[in-house]
Amino acid sequence: MKSTINKVISLRLRIFTLAIGALFLQIGCTDLEEQVYSEVTESSFTPSESDIVSVMASAYTPLRFVMGWQGYFDLQEEPADMFVTPTRPNGWDDGGTYKRMHFHEWTETQWQPRNTWITCFNGINSTNRVILQIESGQLPVSEEQAKSIVAEMRALRALYYSMLVDTHGNVPIISSYSDELPVQSSRTEVYNFIVSELTAVIPDLSGTVDQSTYGRVTKWGALQVLARVYLNAEVYTGTAQWGKVIETCDQIINSGAFELSSSYSDIFSTNNDGNSELVFAIPYDQIFAPQWNAHMKMLTPDHRLVFGMQAQPWGGSSCNPQFINSYDPNDKRLSDTWLMGDQLNASDGSVVMTLVNEMPSIYGCEFTEGFRCGKYEIEPGATSGLSVDFPFLRYTDVLMMKAEALLRTDRSDEAAAIVTQVRMRSFDNLADATVTGAELEGDTTVEYGTLAEDGTIADPGDQSVVPYGRFLDELGWEFAAEARRRSDMIRFGVYQTKNWYNHTPKGDYTTLFPIGLEELNTNTNLTQNPGY
Amino acid sequence: MKLANFLFKACLGTKGLKMQLLFSMFCLFAVQAGFSQQKITGSITDEQGVPIAGASVLEKNTANGVASDFDGNFEITTSRPNAVLVFSYLGFLAQEISVQGSATLNVVLKEDLQQLNEVVVIGYGTQKRADVTSSVATVKSENFVQGNVKDAAQLIQGKVAGLSVSAPSGDPTEGTQISLRGTSSILGGTNPLVLVDGVPGSLSTVAPEDIASIDVLKDGSATAIYGTRGTNGVIIITTKKGSNDMKSTIEYNGYASLSTIANRMDFLDANELRQKFSEGYTFNGANLQDYGASTDWVDEITRDAFSQVHNVIFRGGNSTSNMTASVNYRDIEGIFLKSNNEKYTARVSVNHAMFDNKLKTNVGVILSEQTYNALGDGYSFNPYIYRQAIIRNPTEPVYNEDGSWYERDVYFYDNPVAYIQETIGQNRYRNSRFDFSLSYDFGDHLTLKGLYTRKGNSNIRGFYQTKNHVSTTKNGQEGFASRGTDDYVGNYGQFTADYNNAFGKHRVTGLVGYNYEDNTNEGFYATNRRFPTDGFTYNNLGSGQGLQLGEAGMGSYKDSDKLIAFFSRVTYNYDDRYLLMASLRREGSSRFGEDYKWGNFPGISLGWRIDQESFADNWDWLSNLKLRTGFGVTGINAGSNYQSLSGLTYGTYFLNNGQWVRQLVPSRNANPNLRWEKKEEFNLGIDFGFLEGRINGAIDYYDRTTKDALYNYSVPTPPYFYGSIAANVAEIKNSGLEFLLNVTPVQTDNLQWTANLTYSTNTNKIVSLSNDEFQLTNDFFDEGYTGEPIQISTHRVQEGEPIGNFYGLKSVDITDDGIWIIERPDGTRVPATEATNDDRQVLGNGLPKAYYSWNNTVRYKNWDLMVNLRGALDYQILNFSRMFYENPTISYNTLDSAYDLVYGKAVLQDVQRFVSYYVEDGDFLKIDNVTLGYTLPKDAIKFAQTFRIYASGLNLATITGYKGIDPEVNRNGLAPGNDERDKYPSTRTFTLGINFTF
Repeated sequence: MKSTINKVISLRLRIFTLAIGALFLQIGCTDLEEQVYSEVTESSFTPSESDIVSVMASAYTPLRFVMGWQGYFDLQEEPADMFVTPTRPNGWDDGGTYKRMHFHEWTETQWQPRNTWITCFNGINSTNRVILQIESGQLPVSEEQAKSIVAEMRALRALYYSMLVDTHGNVPIISSYSDELPVQSSRTEVYNFIVSELTAVIPDLSGTVDQSTYGRVTKWGALQVLARVYLNAEVYTGTAQWGKVIETCDQIINSGAFELSSSYSDIFSTNNDGNSELVFAIPYDQIFAPQWNAHMKMLTPDHRLVFGMQAQPWGGSSCNPQFINSYDPNDKRLSDTWLMGDQLNASDGSVVMTLVNEMPSIYGCEFTEGFRCGKYEIEPGATSGLSVDFPFLRYTDVLMMKAEALLRTDRSDEAAAIVTQVRMRSFDNLADATVTGAELEGDTTVEYGTLAEDGTIADPGDQSVVPYGRFLDELGWEFAAEARRRSDMIRFGVYQTKNWYNHTPKGDYTTLFPIGLEELNTNTNLTQNPGY
Repeated sequence: MKLANFLFKACLGTKGLKMQLLFSMFCLFAVQAGFSQQKITGSITDEQGVPIAGASVLEKNTANGVASDFDGNFEITTSRPNAVLVFSYLGFLAQEISVQGSATLNVVLKEDLQQLNEVVVIGYGTQKRADVTSSVATVKSENFVQGNVKDAAQLIQGKVAGLSVSAPSGDPTEGTQISLRGTSSILGGTNPLVLVDGVPGSLSTVAPEDIASIDVLKDGSATAIYGTRGTNGVIIITTKKGSNDMKSTIEYNGYASLSTIANRMDFLDANELRQKFSEGYTFNGANLQDYGASTDWVDEITRDAFSQVHNVIFRGGNSTSNMTASVNYRDIEGIFLKSNNEKYTARVSVNHAMFDNKLKTNVGVILSEQTYNALGDGYSFNPYIYRQAIIRNPTEPVYNEDGSWYERDVYFYDNPVAYIQETIGQNRYRNSRFDFSLSYDFGDHLTLKGLYTRKGNSNIRGFYQTKNHVSTTKNGQEGFASRGTDDYVGNYGQFTADYNNAFGKHRVTGLVGYNYEDNTNEGFYATNRRFPTDGFTYNNLGSGQGLQLGEAGMGSYKDSDKLIAFFSRVTYNYDDRYLLMASLRREGSSRFGEDYKWGNFPGISLGWRIDQESFADNWDWLSNLKLRTGFGVTGINAGSNYQSLSGLTYGTYFLNNGQWVRQLVPSRNANPNLRWEKKEEFNLGIDFGFLEGRINGAIDYYDRTTKDALYNYSVPTPPYFYGSIAANVAEIKNSGLEFLLNVTPVQTDNLQWTANLTYSTNTNKIVSLSNDEFQLTNDFFDEGYTGEPIQISTHRVQEGEPIGNFYGLKSVDITDDGIWIIERPDGTRVPATEATNDDRQVLGNGLPKAYYSWNNTVRYKNWDLMVNLRGALDYQILNFSRMFYENPTISYNTLDSAYDLVYGKAVLQDVQRFVSYYVEDGDFLKIDNVTLGYTLPKDAIKFAQTFRIYASGLNLATITGYKGIDPEVNRNGLAPGNDERDKYPSTRTFTLGINFTF
């Protein structure tokens, strides 16, 4: 009897064990491999030929931060004498960020400089990544292709460094994709790196100017970056390189690959791709690349009705009246750049609002106070992502760089001829367009000094003559809102010395931004820039 | 008896509930009741004369025993005439009665106020309360908070020392917020592991009315057996169940409730705004002028919300099988228009035993369906709408004269009524869970058990903004529609072997087990615009033209993860005096780096029952005294999948030769060294009971250290591709004291008053934010965000400081012009316009240092009254509403108080700023839950066994100095204490309910 019970029990045991065993089998035992579904793992990925562009793309796309939220545009324009973002009825104090930019009182937590640092290094990182993938043979490319891609990536890397050498100066030079904690370089070393890199790769770069190289760094783009760096060599290294500016610009001019656009506003239109003076543009698109939202910050909410936009702008920044007042009234760039006076409803022509050239204080302005930037075309139905391609490098700049170098090397009449050539498209008659070398050598026409609420000068500050100040004005009128005013003002010594709007000078150290707190925090190799 | 009792509990595993336990005993003893000498009959009742069904009657020193039937009657045949019978029932003191020849015994069992025999669920098993060596709290359904509760956690709100449960949002689709013993993890949150009948689930897996008891494992030595996710404690939900040989019953539990907004902010109404105009105030934006109407915008979008809940449980069983089935229907309205939550839940659980009850099976199914309106794309409550109602000009009408919506062109300013009425959205969720378990009892010492659960939930969402919505009237989208769906499938398997034995005074149990879990999530969504008609709403996505214009969106995803564990546990009891429990879990997670997937989580705890010592024999006043201590290690899993893998993803577009192509970039900074976050916890506790348990309680001290805490750590770029990486960097310490005191001040035949008091403290400190691999030059980072237009962080997380520090400008005065005067850290004062970010300092802390509660239950004859009070001490709240709206310069409607003199000096004329003026003390006392019930006398109604009606109020009154709506604000994460501007206001609820059992 007992044995029967035992048998029954052992049978049950076996059944039970079987059932449990089945359970185990179904659920697997100790395999913890991760299963990936909606991304690819690097280890299992074999790039095909069509992936080459996709891989390279990651080195270019960071550039779209230029006209993005608190991007390079803000970094170059907010601390300068043209754009001001005062408190508006809907806010715009934003924890004081725009006031700090205007007063040059930024600290190491200021986002705009950090954003530029982070984004440029993101781009640099990507160029290095592409170079590593090419050199290690991970990408299926021919030797010739490899050579040209590496050249392009090195040129693009130099382009990122040309921004960093200007904004932060003493930054790490990173020329390979590795795990090492970057080591800081001096501003001069960074300058030398840019020059030597560009000089080395220019022969290998494509000189073709057509759709296939649009939005890519070509030989001409690299030359223009080089010219820009030479132009500012005195700021970066203490030694001017005017001769090299002229020499480099001449290479582009003599190529005949570009010519001045007959219409100024065409350069900034929605369909500006392929414009004859674009040397290097950053393509934006409402659908595919909607990062351009600078217009949302510059237009008032009611401009939605004026332009028949889909999005309602946010309405912060407008132009310092002092700069507006410096324009020649006959200069069509005034109305090509700024929205002034009555703003009409796109659908019925009624007056939506009237913009005035008055901005009482950075602590409080109405929406209608201050002229707004309308330089970049706002299409009907525009969204928060503008479709204009940003003219990062354009031919006029090549001519103006040459003119500046000529001017500074006692060839002011030759300079004046170039400036006149540039001005011609913006004036109805030649007499108004013509400038003389003597004029260009003269003082600025901007009446510097801090403003009282009624717009009069409250504190004139430093009123000494700005050498070649009139040429700086020309740069201002021609390149207004092109994310470069700060660099130009520094080169002419205005940035660190003059008063404007509510700003008083804080010292030479402000010509470089502080390295971000987070960056210092995470990389013990970095030392803060002097003065901070 | 104790031994037998113990053995059975051990064998029954997590399913061991009192009814099952009793049934098992019954079976065992019934088998052996064959050789009789004297027959004794009688009845067993409690002190109120209510019969106790299923009480055990055992002839002492034999295995002879029976259980009382449904009417409390029993019949036992003893083996000898002078037998001693032991009567016992869970929750009652056992009684020994010598038979001495009598044939009838009517026994009255006294309630055991200490419940030392109570069965405590400890994870993969149960333990007698007296044997527990770690910190475990149990709350049974009779002590639950009653009324319209949000989820299971609210049932035990204020009942467990150290467990803070709050309901910061009035959104009917939102649950409660829980934290146990402070914030131990940065990324891991504070959510405890929730087990529903032994399987991981959520606080809303089953209906609150379906829950029999909730056990909370608090300290590490108790939760180490769960390794993963044990850090924030384990909440074990046990549902109501049937038992063998029980009479069939139907239990109905239903209530209707009314919710109102608990507290409103005082904004200018139309008359007050007109008054301001007449006083010469001028405004921009919203309050530009008087538009002639008088509209209470908050009234326009809110309502008195009516809700109803019905729950029916069917239970019954024969000698080998029993079943429980329940259906639950909740129809909850929110106080905002179109805010609701409707849910059906059904649960069936069938137990079946064979081979002399050696083989036991359970099959269970839980199904639920939940539907609610969505005013946001995919979510219930759209805070933007509430904000619009608050900030809108009260002189504006709702409609134009032609009946269309009244709208104006002001920055971020839309008619909230229109927003609600022109939005159509619905989310529907379906949840399912199938359980199957099998256990086999090999004689007296060994039980094997296997359990498999398949879980799934899916949802489908639809959302549409009509052509009369501002998305079209202002933004030209011509109708916007969105659809989406998510799907989750999970497998859960468990295999355990239980061993138990006794050798003289030694009792030993052992457990080994294996645990497998996988989770797979996938889903997709699509949006479109420019529809020919509003008629389709979201039901005909393809009819929109947005797709052709590049304005449509879509996406899909899929991911999965796995957890596998081996675990073991030993308990040892010597003479009921010295207790030991030790456990070890080895667990692996797929989310960690190749070489770091596995972690070991040991736990050990010791107990000494002092009252069982011989020297305590004469201490009659002492009924329980136990010293316990424990140490345990628990883990936190990585928050998301694939963080250790180098992945590539196709990102934004790049223009290449006239074509837009996707860029290919790394998905993240992969961290192949990603490993378990581990928390080590030491616990020291004492349980006490005096005067037969009329005073009892526990005191616990804990000290927990979280090491390798996971955080999205900032790293330099380059060399890293992105600015942050998931890494094990931080170390966090938490320590605190917990007091629990249960007192029965009055206990007479007619009147009983029991009071339950809890008090708990918590001190928190960030010890370190660096490790060898990742070093910070500074020892802090900032967290929290005010949002625009203030745009600054609210909190600083710093080494050596507690989590939750507000960090901003300290306002101390105001200039005559109404500009804040800021005191810098060095004591100097400057106007806010000159203050910089370097002038910020610590302004307070958002985490309460102590919580307390006082729960009272008074029973008088058939009446019962429950009054629960609860509060928190010593913390601050950043009042966003005041920060944004207590300012007359803004271009929206303002709080009445915006025109008050600040510091008694001047009306504010500064921009909106984050300054200490808005950081307020949050200390509060809430009269949270008051319930008055009446149970009909047993003979009053024939058809029902019990019949009770009750009325209850939730969130009734708050005593606080805090000026905002409710001082119970978000306490999770690294920015606790932010009372967000647009959050769904909390509600006050009144409920009328009925319970009865057939």
